[in-house]
Amino acid sequence: MVKKLYFFSFFLFSTALVFGQNGTLKGRIIDEETRQPLAGAIIHIDDLANSSAADEKGNYVLSNITPGEYVVKINFIGYAGYEKKIKIGAGDVLVLNIQLSQDIQNLNTVNVVGRLPTENEAAARANEKNSDNLKNVVSAQAIEKSPDINAANVLQRVSGVTIQRNAGGDDSYAIIRGLEPRYNNTLINGVQIASPDSKTRLVSLSVVPSDLLARIEVDKTLTPEMDGDAIGGTVNLVFKDAPDKREITATGSVGYGQLFIDRKFADFSKADIKTYSPSETNGPGYVAQPGDFTRSNLDFKNITPPPTETFSFSYGDRFLNNKLGLLIANSYQNLYFGSNTEGDDGNADPNDPDHRPRINDIYNRAISSRQILNNLITHLDYRINDKNKITLDNVLLYSRLEEASFTADTSITGGNGGRTVPGTGPVNFINQSTTSNQIIENLKLAGNHVLSKHFLFDWYGAFSDAFVRLPDQASINSNIAITYDPSTNQFTKTPDYFDEIDRTWSHNNDKDYSGAANITYKTSIKNTFLELKAGGFYRDKTRYNYEDEYILRPVASTAGEKVVFSDIYSAQWVVYNPYGAGEFNVNNYNAFEDITAFYGQFKLTFPRLQIFGGVRNEITSEGFHVRQDITNASDVTKNYSDILPSISFKYKLNEIANLRLAYFASIARPAYYELVPTVPPSTGGTSVEGNPNLKHTTANNYDLRYELFPKADEQFFIGAYYKQLTNPIEYSYGGNSGSATIYQPMNSDEAKVAGVELAFTRYWGNFGLSGNYAYNYSDVAGIKVDRNNPVARVIEHRMLTGASVHDLNLSFLYRNKDAKFNAEVAYQYLGKTLVGIYPDNGDNYIQQPLSSLAFSADKAISKHFTLFTKLNNLTNTHTTVVLHNFQNGNEITKATYLLGMRYNY
Amino acid sequence: MKTKQISFWIAAIALVATMASCAKKETTGITKPVIPPSHPINSDTIGSFEKGTLLAGKTYTMNHDVYVNIGDTLLAQAGTTIIVKNNSQFKIQGVFQSMGTQASPVTFDSDTHTPGTWGGFACDSAQAVTIQWTKILNTGGPDATGGTRRTLVVSKPIKVDIEDSWVENGQDDGLGLFGGAQITVLRNTIQSGGSTDGEAINIKTGTTGTVAYNVIFSQAGTGIKLETAKVVTTAPTNVDVYNNTMVSCGWRRGAAEPGRGVSAGVSAKGNVFNNIIVNCYHGLEIFVDDGAGNVNYGNNLFYSTADTFVDNTPLNATPPGAAITVNLRAGYYPAGALGVPQASDIISTSVATGNPMFKTFDGSFLNPNGAANNNDFHLQAGSPAIGKGNPTYNADMGAYTSDGKGNKH
Repeated sequence: MVKKLYFFSFFLFSTALVFGQNGTLKGRIIDEETRQPLAGAIIHIDDLANSSAADEKGNYVLSNITPGEYVVKINFIGYAGYEKKIKIGAGDVLVLNIQLSQDIQNLNTVNVVGRLPTENEAAARANEKNSDNLKNVVSAQAIEKSPDINAANVLQRVSGVTIQRNAGGDDSYAIIRGLEPRYNNTLINGVQIASPDSKTRLVSLSVVPSDLLARIEVDKTLTPEMDGDAIGGTVNLVFKDAPDKREITATGSVGYGQLFIDRKFADFSKADIKTYSPSETNGPGYVAQPGDFTRSNLDFKNITPPPTETFSFSYGDRFLNNKLGLLIANSYQNLYFGSNTEGDDGNADPNDPDHRPRINDIYNRAISSRQILNNLITHLDYRINDKNKITLDNVLLYSRLEEASFTADTSITGGNGGRTVPGTGPVNFINQSTTSNQIIENLKLAGNHVLSKHFLFDWYGAFSDAFVRLPDQASINSNIAITYDPSTNQFTKTPDYFDEIDRTWSHNNDKDYSGAANITYKTSIKNTFLELKAGGFYRDKTRYNYEDEYILRPVASTAGEKVVFSDIYSAQWVVYNPYGAGEFNVNNYNAFEDITAFYGQFKLTFPRLQIFGGVRNEITSEGFHVRQDITNASDVTKNYSDILPSISFKYKLNEIANLRLAYFASIARPAYYELVPTVPPSTGGTSVEGNPNLKHTTANNYDLRYELFPKADEQFFIGAYYKQLTNPIEYSYGGNSGSATIYQPMNSDEAKVAGVELAFTRYWGNFGLSGNYAYNYSDVAGIKVDRNNPVARVIEHRMLTGASVHDLNLSFLYRNKDAKFNAEVAYQYLGKTLVGIYPDNGDNYIQQPLSSLAFSADKAISKHFTLFTKLNNLTNTHTTVVLHNFQNGNEITKATYLLGMRYNY
Repeated sequence: MKTKQISFWIAAIALVATMASCAKKETTGITKPVIPPSHPINSDTIGSFEKGTLLAGKTYTMNHDVYVNIGDTLLAQAGTTIIVKNNSQFKIQGVFQSMGTQASPVTFDSDTHTPGTWGGFACDSAQAVTIQWTKILNTGGPDATGGTRRTLVVSKPIKVDIEDSWVENGQDDGLGLFGGAQITVLRNTIQSGGSTDGEAINIKTGTTGTVAYNVIFSQAGTGIKLETAKVVTTAPTNVDVYNNTMVSCGWRRGAAEPGRGVSAGVSAKGNVFNNIIVNCYHGLEIFVDDGAGNVNYGNNLFYSTADTFVDNTPLNATPPGAAITVNLRAGYYPAGALGVPQASDIISTSVATGNPMFKTFDGSFLNPNGAANNNDFHLQAGSPAIGKGNPTYNADMGAYTSDGKGNKH
């Protein structure tokens, strides 16, 4: 089904190029006042589908113009429109130097007539400079030149942004200013995305390929018209827009990972995997038989994987006398990656008078993943006339993951005796195969209407949907023991005993319908401009999560004993829970969330000072229904309303520098599943239990930033921020269920976050240096078990989960226009990061500082073709997490190499 | 002074005695009111929310899970029989009392009488649990999520009293006693439990109390396991384990996880005395992670009816592995662990020595889950275990003692 959607049709096109004595128009576009080049300004000739953007020196060239009389128009953000009649003759080279005057009234408003340049660096800087709020923008141009192939890679280089990855590295989420992903939101084209995650509201950024993006905006302060549920910030992924003239690009590349040069890739057969569980197939009450469970997806084979390959294609054009714009783009990535992890789990040492943690388990895990990403974006815009425009955007992100994970876990303490001397102990093997198919769609229809000289109306309606199915996640557990007899000096290894097979089928769907409408009023008195804007927003979300689980137990020997595991094809099992767990599973729930918001805002612009402020009211109604034990809550609803004021000042120190001061209030809602009070079954290990009494987090945020834009593509920012969070959510020890430890999301009273950010880009001739540094301080009063008196609880002040103290990015850039060659060396340093909370006071899981190095280069080898390479993690950086005095985890992913070709028409 | 007082009392007693002998015989008739049971449960079926009294001699059919809410009490009178259907379970958040007597025990069993067919007692967050002279048979059916279920589990610091009862043919742990429970586990018989895993009495996370005079036969894993906490700091587990008889335990879990008569790990504390451990995979194992000095032990008897046990399980693998020969006498205090033979122990060095002389014993090692127990572990006269116990606990070893304090089954 899904595949069919992706068989996009190639647009056949023919270009009838007429080579004749045509004219050329060229020149330079600069600011009338500052004399600075206006890179990115679009010049177009009214009657022709012909336009050009000024380069970083402000120069433009429009060639191949059929002789005649034309009207030349320029649209550029923040500047008054420009129109001039020209006459061009056969073979003429007309030079037209243009000075644009700033039009304060036009600042950052939607200009329905002209399309703003969005994809180059100059446009990104202009966007940052002119925006009403504090933001960082990464242009498509910068992304293309960078070593990054997905949005997560790109974001980790943004000032104040770090990336949280899961083990295995297929999921990545943004941490902004030390605030973990729960405190941030992710938008596609300005609209929140439905989440494919079974428990949270997060969307992995690694499924978003960089080559479909026009830009990534990270908003660090909010304005009343923006969604209020971001405390760290908002990541807005803006996908490509229709160009002003025909554009065709195609990119292809192949790559390989050092990991699979050094070891094999574990593969398994996907052929027999059943999409539905036995109870889904046969209905509830079906008694599953041993033969209902396939074997080949637990038959692992070591292979040498084929190379990673990526392919993308984009076609954009304008039709119907430029009224209709189209862009269709597809990106396909077939990636092979993985990780090797060795780590030690720890627990309190009762023999230590201080009860600090010591190692109780040592594990080794090898993950082999293949991920197929196939992403299709379509954009249509229709300019009804100069005053009305309708746009339609659809973003379809498909991701398939096939993952084999091998874990060997040796007990050092506990269990059946643990380790006596090095090399001994009970070893538990878990071999797991997972496949998942995920599809995220975001459809947005929007309109902009100039109602009169003073009034502007805009609206959108959006549908966002995320669906994931994990058919038959299968894992097989077996165990051995290695013992040592000191009297004989002999190590003995037992056979491998067959413990259990676990089969899980799950799927979930998250669906949003949202709409918004805004009306803007603009007026001016002398040098003072006033803009008033008001609007409303509504979003209705529904989601379900379904999980069914079967446990297969080995058939005991005739004598009654556990059997030795030989291979998956000869294993004999019984279905321990033949009805499955579909009717009653702690992960089966339905949730809803309705958000209604209203806002009013004003913008008062004096020649040097801009005051922007307003208030937003977000009314939340959310709840869930869970199928579980009848003595526990089955339905919980929550209703709350937040008034979120904001005010900001932008003081223009001079034409190239701003000083900004901003305050805003914002919120973060708990993840859906965090409210579900399921009581996990009382088996060993640790589990997470929801907390329906969890309150949403509210925050007051203060920002100060100095911005300098010396040239169109250069910048210097320095800023500081302070945030005060009420009811931050952190995981804490929540008691025991049987012998298992329960963690629960809990509200701490308060958290404080403060930091300094610095970012710059500077060029010296062909050489450039771009970088940023963020220092982050955070403090939260967390609830912990008193390690010396376990029945008591103590408050521990520590940094927030996900926070890093230092984050440094440096990129050395080389660009040579004549040689058509660009190169970038990107270095990243990430300081100590708190990645997990240990239940007892005094210790936490701390990721050690890490540095990594990446390289990218491209070289145009002809008019249309560019050769490029992207090399990542060249230093083979390990991700190391330490608990107390031992290594809790050490993950190795190794370097990746990519070589490709880009075609531009 | 003292002497005077005593003589006064002697005189007074003599006077009273004289008066009594002189008085006319008096008869007293007391009519006791018939006190009705609190909230009698008169229905023949139970399920859903229950409180009150399950009546003596009555047979109940339990069709669904039974919940006992916080503040409620469910009491089973002597001689009650509960037949459990549909893999149901007791979920106790209040008080549970099963008050059988030697003459009229209480019985909980499934309708099919086959191992692993109902859910047992989830007393995770109960307020108190008292079980006397009660048969709990054939538990261990999976929970609705596919998880295994212990016959009885407690996870809170409450009083748990389990005496003179039978726990038979479960699929996992017999008694899981966690979370700081204060336990009194006396004179029970726990047998043939655990399919291929599970301990008979699994004690963890700060539980304290006494485990004595129990007979444990053919458990898949360990007879009595003491552990403090693997994950979170808790107070040490601290239990006295004495005068238990553990026979044929620890074989069904395979050589990678041999079961023990008694094990202690992760800083658990305890006193392990006067136990008889026969034909178990391992005897008394004090793991390295327990640390020296946390467990006191001695006066335990170790015996096997053979020198070795040959485990042929690996022969059935492809390719076949070598059979495993278990040297039984070397496993009484296994190599690599901290436990060492004590002078007060009786340690068999051959089939001929150290035999506790059970009344009857078939000499079995590995039995299937749910196997019948036709043995009688009372001691014959002349057993070396008699009179060799640590007198702090009992003069004799094992669950059946000559002073009559021992197991009454």
